[in-house]
Amino acid sequence: MSIVKYLLVFGLLVFGTIATYVAATVDMDRFFVGANTLVALFIAFTKMTFVMLFFMHVYWSKRLIWLAAVASFFWLAIMFAYTMQDYLTRGSGVFSS
Amino acid sequence: MNAQEAISTGYGGAAKLNYLTNGTTLKSWLLTKDHKRIAIMYLVTVSAFFLMGGLYAATIRLELLTPASDLVESGTYNKVFTQHGILMIFFFLIPSIPAILGNFLIPIMIGAKDLALPRVNLISLYIYWLGGGLTLFALMQGGVDTGWTFYAPYSTTFSNSFVMLVGLGIFINGFSSILTGLNFIVTIHTMRAPGMTWFRLPLFVWAHYAVSLVMVLGTPVVAITILLLAIERVGHVGIFDPTIGGDPILFQHLFWFYSHPAVYIMILPGMGVISELISNFSRKKIFGYEFIAFSSIAIAVFGFLVWGHHMFVSGQSIYAGMVFSFLTMVVAVPSAIKMFNWTATMYKGSISYDTPMLYAIGFMGLFLIGGLTGLFLGAIGLTVHLTDTYFVVAHFHYVMVGGQVIAYLGGIHYWWPKMTGKMYSEFWGKISAMLVFVGFNLTFFPQFILGYQGMPRRYASYPEEFQVLNIFSTAGASVLGIGLLMPAVYLMHSLFFGKAAGDNPYMHPGLEWRTSSPPPTENFEVMPVVTWEAYEFGEESGMDLEAAKQREAVTA
Amino acid sequence: MSSHYSDKFVYHEPGLQHQFDDMGQQEESVSIGMWFFLVQEIMFFGGLFTAYLVFRSKYPMAFAAGSNHLDAFWGGLNTLVLIVSSLTMALTVYYAQKGNRNMQVILIVLTMIFGATFLGVKAIEYTDKYNHGLIPVAGLNKKVKAEAGAEHSAAEKPCWEVDHNAPPVEHPNPHGEFIWTDCSLAKMALDENILTASEKNQYLVRDENNKPVIDANKFRDKVRIFFFLYFVMTGLHALHMIVGLGLMTWLLWSAFKYKYNGDYYMPVEMSGLYWHFVDIVWIFLFPLLYLLGRHFIHGG
Repeated sequence: MSIVKYLLVFGLLVFGTIATYVAATVDMDRFFVGANTLVALFIAFTKMTFVMLFFMHVYWSKRLIWLAAVASFFWLAIMFAYTMQDYLTRGSGVFSS
Repeated sequence: MNAQEAISTGYGGAAKLNYLTNGTTLKSWLLTKDHKRIAIMYLVTVSAFFLMGGLYAATIRLELLTPASDLVESGTYNKVFTQHGILMIFFFLIPSIPAILGNFLIPIMIGAKDLALPRVNLISLYIYWLGGGLTLFALMQGGVDTGWTFYAPYSTTFSNSFVMLVGLGIFINGFSSILTGLNFIVTIHTMRAPGMTWFRLPLFVWAHYAVSLVMVLGTPVVAITILLLAIERVGHVGIFDPTIGGDPILFQHLFWFYSHPAVYIMILPGMGVISELISNFSRKKIFGYEFIAFSSIAIAVFGFLVWGHHMFVSGQSIYAGMVFSFLTMVVAVPSAIKMFNWTATMYKGSISYDTPMLYAIGFMGLFLIGGLTGLFLGAIGLTVHLTDTYFVVAHFHYVMVGGQVIAYLGGIHYWWPKMTGKMYSEFWGKISAMLVFVGFNLTFFPQFILGYQGMPRRYASYPEEFQVLNIFSTAGASVLGIGLLMPAVYLMHSLFFGKAAGDNPYMHPGLEWRTSSPPPTENFEVMPVVTWEAYEFGEESGMDLEAAKQREAVTA
Repeated sequence: MSSHYSDKFVYHEPGLQHQFDDMGQQEESVSIGMWFFLVQEIMFFGGLFTAYLVFRSKYPMAFAAGSNHLDAFWGGLNTLVLIVSSLTMALTVYYAQKGNRNMQVILIVLTMIFGATFLGVKAIEYTDKYNHGLIPVAGLNKKVKAEAGAEHSAAEKPCWEVDHNAPPVEHPNPHGEFIWTDCSLAKMALDENILTASEKNQYLVRDENNKPVIDANKFRDKVRIFFFLYFVMTGLHALHMIVGLGLMTWLLWSAFKYKYNGDYYMPVEMSGLYWHFVDIVWIFLFPLLYLLGRHFIHGG
């Protein structure tokens, strides 16, 4: 990959950082609860994807590397989801009033 | 050339040097990159930890001979069962088969010169020694009394024992496990000999691949849990403290996220060994190769989805309990598939009842009972009655001891001629296998009954009506102890006085049997090119029964 | 003493280890090894993110309050610093492949400078927390002797009347404890009825008229959980950063000695993977720790 492309990715990452800061100051929770968090996570995931694909060269790597990268997030998701299913269903309802 | 040169050059004459004789200084052992030497060093250390854990077990059983807490008082008893658990789980069971048999055999079974990352392998051994040494030091200072499960808030706030030091030892030891798993994954992907496709791999290798996935994905979580525990203990503030809004059940979630897959670390390698033993000693290609291979992966994956079944009565929500209970039923299916396949393999095979096969058959029966009782415990209604009783203790000993330890012994015996070049005494082998089987059942079967009658676990004293069964259990433990100590004697004896084993004393088709016993440092004189399927017992391979009968197998 | 199976001289590429047949196999092995190491690092941090997820969903207002007292300027600066260091790291690998030793050295030094800058900013932030009694462990904060007569004025104002946007006031703190006096966000949530059930359970007590009112101490405890997670997560991240700097030092020395070129550059690539991983963790830590409550104070 050429230097220009590395700089492009860098530019995108800087833009993402600024965007995430600005988005955090705007109250989007009036649309639905958790909107701010969702936007922040979406931007963070996008930045991470660019770092992984281009800086970490996953785009040009074997399928096993792709699988390792994807699988680790899947395992994180298992840990988050199955832990939260306990907390969300304890009767006091985390998100309910 | 003179004699010295004849010994050191391998080509053009039989290699006289094997991995044991290639370098005899202490430095050549402690700084070795040879996976076989690392395996032997693991064997020595792991056996030492097994002995220590066994001494704690003996103390437990002796204390439980009488209803009163008279041999040791309750506080000490807490330390005894905690330390029995910690030593056996973290320092014996988890390393046992992968670090010894896996390290030794995987490169040979796939036709490689060594593991992919030999220095990582050596570091893994050092880390194991460091973690084990720290833990032993802590035990000698006074030990821990929290249970091997370290539940908060007792471990974070109230226990006066050496939680930090033991926690540090286990934390460090975890990295040994992670690095071993990492090494196996890389090796199995990149170091296979030409022609050794994935579906020609021995099922031992598949099992270790699955185990390595569990080690790499699960162990870091217990590491961070112990770290959080330590920070909370030192700082007197933390996320597990309910008085400030924390949640002790979060500790359990994070702990069991690893510790449940850990029990699959403590059975999958055993299943890999059993696949080898059953197929080879029935002289028959294993039934359903792909099913067994994929079921190992399935167990590794599904094993991460069921940890809440250790927390049914902890305060976890009922809904979560239902989900975990259902998934527990599902995770039993791949194990059952293996049991059916092994049985089908034995059907119409030519079974020879050598010592390793006795262990394998014992595994089948004991793991069956252990696995089924696991389902009883996973059923959310029944579990409320059985939680924290001796039923649970009996269940996990059936799967861990009746499963993994029996498989470990079977594997050690099976590959002993390969590792040492000597044959052990079959007579004493068979005797001790039967003693282990009888002693084990006598020890742990009464505990099922004790459990459903209500005897709680982790108690030094108990109501008098439970004494008779406890006496049976302790009597069985004595027999089991003798059965477990005997191999130490006759295996050591074989090192000095055993008959020399040939390359392939059993006439089995595995790649490890196509090199000398003990193997040379780089495993093969000529690196193999694989053109045959796994477990080929047909006439073309020369491994059929007639050929085996004609060639005299060397037995003691 | 290795055994030789041939009298013929076998050419070994420099850097090829004995267990591999060729460089391709070595590169593939090292790459898979490093990636699976990163997988386990992801799971290591994952445990902390799980704890964060649990407590943030239980006590969102306490987390928002704590987060607003973190300086998003330093956090944002650190994010940019790490992104730049990721760029210089990626370019280091690029130049290693090209065999350009001088550019490699320059870029590794730059990467290290940015890494050290990150740690410097963290030191500034941690010192600031120390000064304002925000380290969750009692005794680890700056001990500020109470002035005679000043104690009463700080205690009388109820915690929900504290101005959330005001700069932090230095409170008397003779024992170096964790100090938190601002529960205005909880009051706002109570008034607008957006407290979660756990929050209602944990922040509120009944006053003499049996009305629910926010208990300053209980709210402070939940904010303390936020800061506990903040310090553990950023602290563990900083530790990984320090290890990364150590790695860079070794890499700098090897690159300086002309070790890396188009045929042999995997150590640079693998170090790069580690560095990018540390960057990615921070990409998530920044919004989750620093930005989660900004919309409460800045409005629509």
